[in-house]
Amino acid sequence: MGAFMKEDDIYIGTFLDLFNIRFAPTPFSADAMTVYGGIDEMTALQGEFGIFSSKRPFSASAALLGLGGIHKALAKNRWLELLRNLPDNGDQQIADALVANFRKKPPLPCYMRAHDARIKGENRVIIIESDAPLFYLEQKYLTISLPMAPRRQPAKKKAKKK
Amino acid sequence: MDLAAVHTGISDYYTAKIRKFGATPLGVDWTCLPTQELRFVQLLKVCDFTSPLSLNDLGCGYGALLSYLDRRHAGCPIDYVGVDLSQAMLRRARRLWRNRPNASFVHGHAGSRLADYSIASGIFNVQLGQPPDVWEGFIAATLDQLHRTSRHGFSVNFMRAPPAGTPERKGLYSAEPERWARYCAAQFGAATEMLDGYGLREFTLIVRRRSVSI
Repeated sequence: MGAFMKEDDIYIGTFLDLFNIRFAPTPFSADAMTVYGGIDEMTALQGEFGIFSSKRPFSASAALLGLGGIHKALAKNRWLELLRNLPDNGDQQIADALVANFRKKPPLPCYMRAHDARIKGENRVIIIESDAPLFYLEQKYLTISLPMAPRRQPAKKKAKKK
Repeated sequence: MDLAAVHTGISDYYTAKIRKFGATPLGVDWTCLPTQELRFVQLLKVCDFTSPLSLNDLGCGYGALLSYLDRRHAGCPIDYVGVDLSQAMLRRARRLWRNRPNASFVHGHAGSRLADYSIASGIFNVQLGQPPDVWEGFIAATLDQLHRTSRHGFSVNFMRAPPAGTPERKGLYSAEPERWARYCAAQFGAATEMLDGYGLREFTLIVRRRSVSI
C-alpha cells in the first residue's frame, strides 16, 4: 500500500487516528444528557443519512466524513485511493462490516489499524468483531485491519563510468 | 449594548474561514457535511412542511441549507432568505445559488423581513474572545430579533456545557439547555422545546409563538 501513499506514508497513522476518534467509545458521563460524540455521533449520522451502505464503498463515506483530514489535499487523495484499491474489494467489505455493526444495539466502537501485507495470506482486509485491540481499554471493538507494506525505495542510479 | 464590535469580529472570523476552505462545511466551521446536515434536521423541526412557507436562515454562510432543503423537502415551496455578516460568505452564496428561484441573500445581523420561520445554526458557538456578558448580550439580542422576524417560530442550537469537572473548550460558548429556554419563555411568552440526544455535543432550542396574531 506504500505504492499509493508514496512520501505521504508518514500520515497513515494520522488517518487511522481520524477514523478511531470518530468511531471511538462515546466518552463516559454519569449524566445521560451529556453523552455525545464518538460512536453515538456516528450512529446518529448513520440513522439519519445511511452514510454507510452495501451500495457505497467505504472510501466514499470516508470522504464525506472528512476522514482524509483537512490540511494536505495530496495526502488525503492518496489515502482515499489506497482505500479504493484495497484487495478483494476490501473497500466495500469495510462498508458492509460497518453497516452490520450499526444494526447492533448498541453498535460497537470501531478501531482501524494496519497489519503487514507481506506475510503470506495477509494481503487482505481483516475484520474482527468483538475484538479487544487495545489492551489498556476494557472495551470491545469492531476491528478493521488494513494490509500495508513499505513503499519500495527508488533504485539508485548507477554512476556513469568515465 | 453596542454589538458592532461583536458583529465585526464574527464577520472577520467567518470571512477568514470561507477564504481558507471555500464553500464547504469547513468553510463555515463544521467538521463535515453529515454533521452540518444533522443540525439542519433538528433545526427544521420547527417548520411545518405540509404547506408553502417562508424561511430566514440567519448566519446562512454559503447557503448549505438550500441544498439540504432541495433534497429533503423538494415537495414544499420555500421562500428562502439567507442573512450573514460576512460579505465574502454572501458572495459565495450568491454565486452558488444564482440560478435557484425563491432564494436571496442579504447582508446583516438580523432578518430583514418577517418570515414564517427562522433558523440559525452554530452562530453562538465561537465566542471570539468576547467577555461572557457581552457574548450573552449578543445572544439575547439575536434571539429577540429572531422572535421579531418569525411569524410562527424559530430554532437555534447551542453547544452543551461539558459535564461537571470537565474544562470548557477555550474560545467556545456553551450553555445549559434551560438557560436560554427560560429566557425565550419569559421574554416572548413562547412555547419552548429542547432537542438533544442526537449524538452531537449540543442541543437545539425550538421556540414557537403561542399565538400567530402578529
